[in-house]
Amino acid sequence: MKYETVIGLEVHVELATKSKIFCSCSAEFGAEQNDHVCPACSGMPGMLPIVNKRVVDLGMTAGMMLNCDINRVTTFDKKSYYYPDLPNAYQTTQWFSPICVNGRVDIETSKGPKSIRIKQIHMEEDAGKLVHDDWSDTTLVDFNRTSVPLIEIVSQPDISSAEEAIAYLERLRDLLRFAKVSDCRWEQGSMRCDVNLSIRPEGSDVLGVRTEMKNMNSLSAITRAIKYEVARHTRALEKGTEELVQETRRWDDNEGKSYAMRTKETAGDYRYFPDPNIMPVVIDDEWFSRIEKTLPELPEVKREKYTGEMGLSEYDADQLVSSRALCDVFEDAVSVCGSAKEAANWIITDCMQVLNKKKMTADMLDINGTSLGQLIKLVSEDKVSRGNAKRILAAMFEGEIADVEAYAKEYGFIVSNDTSAIENIVKEAIAADPKSVADFKAGKEKALMALFGKCMKQLKGNANPQVLREILIAEINKI
Amino acid sequence: MDIKTLSRLQKLNQLNLTETEENELMAFFEKAEKDAEILASVDTENVERMVYVMPMTNIIREDIAKKVFTRDQLQEQAPEAMDGYWQVPRLVE
Repeated sequence: MKYETVIGLEVHVELATKSKIFCSCSAEFGAEQNDHVCPACSGMPGMLPIVNKRVVDLGMTAGMMLNCDINRVTTFDKKSYYYPDLPNAYQTTQWFSPICVNGRVDIETSKGPKSIRIKQIHMEEDAGKLVHDDWSDTTLVDFNRTSVPLIEIVSQPDISSAEEAIAYLERLRDLLRFAKVSDCRWEQGSMRCDVNLSIRPEGSDVLGVRTEMKNMNSLSAITRAIKYEVARHTRALEKGTEELVQETRRWDDNEGKSYAMRTKETAGDYRYFPDPNIMPVVIDDEWFSRIEKTLPELPEVKREKYTGEMGLSEYDADQLVSSRALCDVFEDAVSVCGSAKEAANWIITDCMQVLNKKKMTADMLDINGTSLGQLIKLVSEDKVSRGNAKRILAAMFEGEIADVEAYAKEYGFIVSNDTSAIENIVKEAIAADPKSVADFKAGKEKALMALFGKCMKQLKGNANPQVLREILIAEINKI
Repeated sequence: MDIKTLSRLQKLNQLNLTETEENELMAFFEKAEKDAEILASVDTENVERMVYVMPMTNIIREDIAKKVFTRDQLQEQAPEAMDGYWQVPRLVE
């Protein structure tokens, strides 16, 4: 018998906020244990949660990017959960009226385009981190991540293969990063995925026994886990190797196997009830349209614009649309310098070189695009040499330079138009190196380059190369 | 309330009760159930559900990070703490 796979994904995404969802503690990743903690997020009695407005903004943004309906009245609920990584003994989440419902993500598959329906997006708090300490035989709790804001994006069971799951997750990641909802970094846990999977005879409309794999944190692990589970379910149904039961399983990526879990997640009696301490959030038309106005153009729309009216190559356009930060700097730079090709080259080559050196990703590009545009313009007008422009670019990564020309003047990076100064240096160089002069006269082009390099060094790079070359040849010809 | 339900609740709440505690809780739950039955007998047809006592909405704050307490201040209250962590009985996954 032929079987078909039915997959639904629950994706947790940490939101790009400065503070936590219900208190003012920093939500930044990587602090020392329990450094971002207060009485509210460590579950002290009597503390009251206050919703972070930015979380609602980003929840709405995510919903709009994923074609959802936004619930104009959205509420928070308590999910009973007794485990020390959430010290309140419940998780504050949304059950009865989540912020977004009924969305859609369009993906490309080898069989053509497909739409994956989104059931809902809800806002909730993350749990803390537990460290099991062998020496003291106790568990150590770090509440830094407790109450860091998340959205959970719940798809309908519309995904039928690992390939489709990956296409969906990649598209989701692109859209959310582009809208600056989250940095979606699998390796830092800011994007995680639960995979719900079952199989059924092809053409059947009855769902099979479903298993869930929680907290998957890489695309390759998700691919392997889905393939493993499909094979396990198929063997169980065809050969009766085991009885399939509805359960939560843990994926061990090193062993390439899934195991039944015996822990907290199997006790799925969450007893949701409304949180009376968090008043309903009402989204009026003004709030709704304010968020709507912040939505970015989709990456494919930008790609089309870059290769079409702006005349970039497919390669350059793909490089730029891989990150919203690159697009923002690029567009600001072009608006000042007027050359899309030059701006793309500076970003893809020079900016990326600096980012790589600093071990930063493209999303972390934080220079002012307008300043970059000014710099490119100065180079194209031969006011600053390319070498010195790179030095100015490096300085831009250390701090904002509002007026690039003034900066170039202050630090002596403006190309000299004083031909008499160039002539003096050329004369000195010729006098000091008669061999190169003789070689050039004898037809060795390279000898000119040696003299050219020496003069440029003396001029600290601030000479128009064409002018310097002309003066150099003219002076040699006088001999 | 029966012992099966109580043991499920124990599991959900990570409790490990003694027999005496179980008996005490059984008696408590039986009383609570009777109270709940009285509440359930009240006719609430056509009465709007009330979740929030105060008629308020949008109690929200701006996204500004602040540090109000230090770790040491918070852990003064902790029954057990080690190396800046709260310390709890070992949980085996």
